[in-house]
Order: sequence, then C-alpha cells, then structure tokens
Amino acid sequence: MITTSSKLFYGLGTLSFVGALVWVVAHDGSSLGSVALIFLAISLLFLGGIASYVRDGHVLSTDTAAHPSAPAAQSASGNSWWPLASALSLGMVVVGLISSPGIFKIGIALSIAMFGEWMITNWSDRASANAAYNEKVRGWVVHPLEIPIGGALLMTVIVLSFSRIMLSVSTVAGPLIFAVVGTVVLAGGSLVSVRRGVSKRLVGGACAVALVALTGVGLATALNGERHELVEASEYDHYAVHPCGEEAEEYDEEASRAVSAKSSIAATVIFKDGELYAEMDGFSEPLTSISLQRSYDLTILFRNESVGEHRMILNYGNVIEDLGGGVTRDSKLQACTALIGEGGQQAITVRIPKPSFASPLSPYNIVVSGIEDSSIEVSVP
Amino acid sequence: MSTVGTMKDRVAEPMKIMRRGRAALKTSLAVSALAFLASCARDAPQDTWQPAGPNAEQIDNLQRPVFYVAGVVGVIVFVAIGWAIWRYRDRGQAIPEQTHGKPVVEIVLTVIPALILLGVAIPTAGTIFKLAKTSDTEMTINVTGQQWWWEYDYPAVGSNEEQYGITAPIVTSGQLVIPENTKVLLRVTSRDVIHSYWIPKLNGKKDSVPGRVHLLRLEGAKPGIYAGQCTEFCGLSHSYMRMEAVVLSRADYDAWVANQLEAYTSPAAGTLAAEGEGVFIQQCSRCHQVNGLLNADGTPIISAPDQYIVSGVAPNLTNLMTRNTFAGASWDLLTPECREDVWKSDSVTFGAKYLKGVTTDCLNQKDLREWLRNAPLKKPMYANPENLAATGGKYRGMPALGLTEDQINSIVAYLLERK
Repeated sequence: MITTSSKLFYGLGTLSFVGALVWVVAHDGSSLGSVALIFLAISLLFLGGIASYVRDGHVLSTDTAAHPSAPAAQSASGNSWWPLASALSLGMVVVGLISSPGIFKIGIALSIAMFGEWMITNWSDRASANAAYNEKVRGWVVHPLEIPIGGALLMTVIVLSFSRIMLSVSTVAGPLIFAVVGTVVLAGGSLVSVRRGVSKRLVGGACAVALVALTGVGLATALNGERHELVEASEYDHYAVHPCGEEAEEYDEEASRAVSAKSSIAATVIFKDGELYAEMDGFSEPLTSISLQRSYDLTILFRNESVGEHRMILNYGNVIEDLGGGVTRDSKLQACTALIGEGGQQAITVRIPKPSFASPLSPYNIVVSGIEDSSIEVSVP
Repeated sequence: MSTVGTMKDRVAEPMKIMRRGRAALKTSLAVSALAFLASCARDAPQDTWQPAGPNAEQIDNLQRPVFYVAGVVGVIVFVAIGWAIWRYRDRGQAIPEQTHGKPVVEIVLTVIPALILLGVAIPTAGTIFKLAKTSDTEMTINVTGQQWWWEYDYPAVGSNEEQYGITAPIVTSGQLVIPENTKVLLRVTSRDVIHSYWIPKLNGKKDSVPGRVHLLRLEGAKPGIYAGQCTEFCGLSHSYMRMEAVVLSRADYDAWVANQLEAYTSPAAGTLAAEGEGVFIQQCSRCHQVNGLLNADGTPIISAPDQYIVSGVAPNLTNLMTRNTFAGASWDLLTPECREDVWKSDSVTFGAKYLKGVTTDCLNQKDLREWLRNAPLKKPMYANPENLAATGGKYRGMPALGLTEDQINSIVAYLLERK
C-alpha cells in the first residue's frame, strides 16, 4: 500500500536511481557517485517499504472520516521558516555560479539541508493529531543530523574566529590572550561544575554572549587583516627558495618557529666563529659531512652565531637546459637563505632531485658566502 | 481451553528460552575455540610475542604482565556481567527497589581501576623513555617510505664510516641489513603519504610522516631474518608494502658492506647479460639507478625517477641479487625451497647462506618474470596511463613496459649479476 509518507521515500528513491544513471552517463562511466546514489536509493526505498508495511503507524491514511487522527485528516502544515531558508540557499547557489565555486558548493549543501528540513517538517506536522508528538517525531528523524552538524558549525565559527584573532595580534599578545581565555574558560567551567544551583539559563546566556563577542571580534580582526609580519612573509613568499645573490632583508628572525611547527629540520647548519658545522637528529656529534635524501622536501635551518650578516648557500649540482638550436645553458642549482644577522636564523626548504655523484665536477656542499675555507660536504645517495 | 493453552505457554516459554540459551552458548564456545586455535599458528614471522632483540624484549616485558592483568580483569568483568544477566533476567518478577548512590561502592570501583592503571602507567612510561633513548646509537640508517616500498640509505658519516667501514653511501630496499647486537637508529620518514615502520620482533611501530624525521631504535640479538609490514594504510597496495630486517654477525656484516661498496663490473661481452645491460639502460635506468653504469661516452647514467614517479624515486638495483626480495619485499627472489633454507637456518650458518645472494638455481623466475611482463597486474599501482591526469602523468609505481620475452630473458640474466 502506498501511504502518505511512503510516497516521499519512493519518490526520492526513484529520483536517486535516475540520478545514478545520469551520473554514469555524465561522468563517462565513473562509478563512485553512482554507487553512492544507488545506496541512497536502496535506503530510501527500504524506508518507503517500512512506511508502507506499517501503514504510517497503523493509521489508515486515506480514510479520514473513520480515522480523524490519520495524517491526511490533519490540518495543513503550519508556518515555517524553511521555505525562506531554502530560497536563500538557492539564491546562494545562483550567486556562487557567478562569483565563486566555494559559495556555489556551500549553497548546494545548504539547499539540500534546507529542503530536507522543510520536507521532514511538513511530513512530521501531519504525522498525528498531537502537535507535541509530531515535534518529537521530527526530532527522531532530524536530531541525529542536526545536533552533530550544528555542533560542528559552532566549533567552526569558534575556531575560525579565534584563529583570526590570534593571527592579527602580536606574537607577544597571542600567548597572553590564549592563557587568559583558557583560564577564564577553565575557571568558569569549574565554577559551574561545583555550584549546582547555577541556572541553565544563566550559563546558556553567558555562553551566548561569549560566542557573539568572539564572533564579532573575530569578524572585525578578519576584516582588519593579519599582523604585518605575516603579511610581509606572504608577500615575500617566505618558503620559496630565492636565487642566490639577491639581497633581501631578514624580515622575521624567528621564522623557524613557524617552519618547525610543521616539519622536522633535516639538518641545522651553524656558523660559529668562522666555522661551519651541522647538527642532525640521530647524530650526537657536530658534522662536517652530512647525508641528505634524494627527492625529499628537506628543511635546513641556518643559524648565524658569528659577528655580522651571513648567507648560507646549498649547492646541489647543476642543470643543463636545452635552449634550442644546439645551444645549452649550464646553471648551478643553489638554495640560499637571506642575509642573517648575528643570533638570527632562517629555514629553507629544498628538494634535491639527483644524487651527488651525478655532478662529480660540482660537488654538493653547504657554504657561507664570502667564507672560503669552511664548508659542509653534502652526500645525496 | 484458553486456560490450558495459557498454562502450556507458561511452561513452554522458559523451555524455549533455555534451548535458545544453550544454542547461543554452544555457538559462543565454538567461535571462541576457533579463535583460540587461530592463535596457534606455527609459522608466525610477525609474532609480537617472540621478541628477538632488547628493544622488543622491553616491550614484551611490559605487555605480558599488562596482558595477564587485563585478561584477569576482562574475565572478571565478563563473568560478572554474564552472571548478572542470567541471575536477574526478566522472569516476570517485580522490579526491585531503585536506589541512587552507594558512595563506598563507587569509591572502591574508582580507586581499584585507578590503582591498576597507575600500576600499568609507571612501567609503561619507563619503557617509553628507554625506547626513546638515542645517545647510545652505534649506527644510523635513513629509512624512507613511499608508495609502496621502503628505501634504506646508510650515510657514510660518523660512526657508520669510522666503525663500520661505510665509506660511501649504500642505498638498498626491501631488506634492512644490520649487524647483530648493534644499537641501530633508524631515521624514519616518508616521501608521499604516512606509512608506519614495524618489525614486530625487533621493536614497536614508528610512523613515517612526510616532512618529519622520527627516530626508531632497532637491535637484533642473533642473526636471522625478521619480517615486518607497513602498518598505516597508505593506499591501493598498502598490503604489499612489506619489509624484512636481516641481522648478520659482525664479520658477515663487514662482508656485506664490502660487497655493497664494490665497483660495478659490466657483464662479459657477447653474453645474454651484456645484452640485458643494454636493454636495462634503454628501459629501466630512467627510473632505477645502478651505480657505476656508464653511458657510451663514459659519463655515469643517472636515473631520473623524479620525472616519472610521484614519489621521485625508484629502488636502487645496484646489488639487487644480494637481497632476497623485490617489489617492496612483496615477492621473494628466492624459490620457496631456497628461501626456506635461508629462513630456517640456524644463526651460525645463516650469514653464509644469506651472503650467497640469489643464484641462478635459486632465482624465483616465475614471479620476477611476471613482474617484468606486467608489474601493475601483479601489484596494483594506479599505472593506467589514461588515469594519470591527477599526478601530471607520473606513476605511483612501475608501469607495464611492454617488454618482449627476449628482453625479459636478457634483463633477468643481467640482474642475476647484480650482486
């Protein structure tokens, strides 16, 4: 028997099957999306089957005279915000089509969610004559989705807002803010946990105010932009390897902090008292000969502990380019830091594609420009 | 009639429940027995309960008592739950008095697990610190994972050079060769995705993460081969990403190092192997390095796997036949009989057998030839050229090269000399 609610599931299931076929045709036989859609269709048809089997909860849906409590006998759905939300989502899809793929994708996701909510609300409004029960039924269906997704969105807002704030304040203020906020949250949580009489409204209100404040400050700082060091680093393309000889100021002496947070240092090269040596994890003694891996993103940290400004240069062979017409150009492969002042340090990331024995005439090494008699031999097997 | 029927039902219902209970009990016992029997494997090269080195022994010394304590606790909990389920099953009796809070019980049930956990935590922390120690390192080896094989390179620096005679870098794959009773430190990393390095009989796992170098101690107490496997899902052929650690006596290890450092010698002119050298240069050396192989003009042939492979490297085949495995240690280079002869040999004779490498009689022709005919068919590696748009045309492993049988014959002959 095709009941009121099973119509929805059967309809959606059929639509999913059709969608799967369209997917296969549109994606040149690709099966990934079609498998998902077929599974969706099977699930929906299964739900439709259940709805038919239980006849929408043993209520004869069409015999409204004999069964005034049947869904069909209920009044039409009440006022709802979902149509408005669905329309806005569709508007977002249109805007996204013109402006940005990101907005388009978010619009699609929101449209699906809003239409889904609309349909389920419409269905649950007519589930029985009891409005409270209908609300409960709606909750059974959508709460398993709404609550985790809502929680994730809330977390996203908090994390995004907080990260914008931390990226805008100075490196001195950042840890202080982090410590203060952490302490306030911990103290507030502890207080609430030990004082049983605190009303839920008060806690909820405080959290809401904090969330609004956090979001507002986060939005304001996002509009204001990141702190100037980060902007400069971004403009300078901090992590790129620059051609040697090009003079550039050391804009962020503590850049290595950012790098080391993301990756290990393959070798720390230290220039001290006119001598160059390296330190590597796994080797207890200073090294004047190091081995680096081939075809691997190596991060090398240069630390200048000598007087004056110095630049580290990694020589890793040469490359012969074919310029056409039988003309070739032999270029040195080098990676360099900027000029680093005493006590300063900088990390560079480099990928060495060829083994060191590929260039017998241009040995791989690390040197400091202007210092002839000290170098580190580099072996790349 | 209805009264009689009801009486019958009342008698029949418990009987039915008891029959069902017996059936469930029998099924549970049968499944448990099967699970128990499955743990009685005779040949279990990756058994964590058979440590073969001091690091693994430290883990074993920790895990055994923890396992026993956890086992006893588990049995107590399951028996208690089972007894409670059976004893207080619904027989139509009145619901017992509902109470809330038994402070003594709650405190006892909190304190006992806390004490057990504390008892486990103290030796665990001690073991972690012992396993993290690196100051006593005697040898350092770089271990780099990529889809789907491990590369080992022995840097010619520090104690490697001074104490073990590694005067030039040694690059190998599939089998990690280390001297016995030597504190080896592995610098583990990855070129593409996260892998995990684990030789169960020698130490615990260590993730290999792109951009990070993780340190792992390894030490084998006696000569032999110890199997392992990548333990972090890393893509299509994760299950084919295996490794073996080979422990040799010091004398045998010195011989192995000396052999690895020997200069390349070309096959004798006019032989099938010499023909194979030419085919290798044309077909294989684009990705596979063989140190010492020269172009016609006398310049060294440098492979360029960075142009063809996502990870930027392919196994170095300079001394392929000194290893017993190929293709990420997924297949043996030795025939099953020869492999068993090496694996089952005692620690005294093991080294000599291993150092013999792969001989013509012992070569596993079948798997090697199948690999050369169509590698992706043997080990899935996303090698379909039509599906390489996402990687800019680069492969994740060895593609099918379309070699003829004559070419395969000659390459096999050439590779047999790579010792």
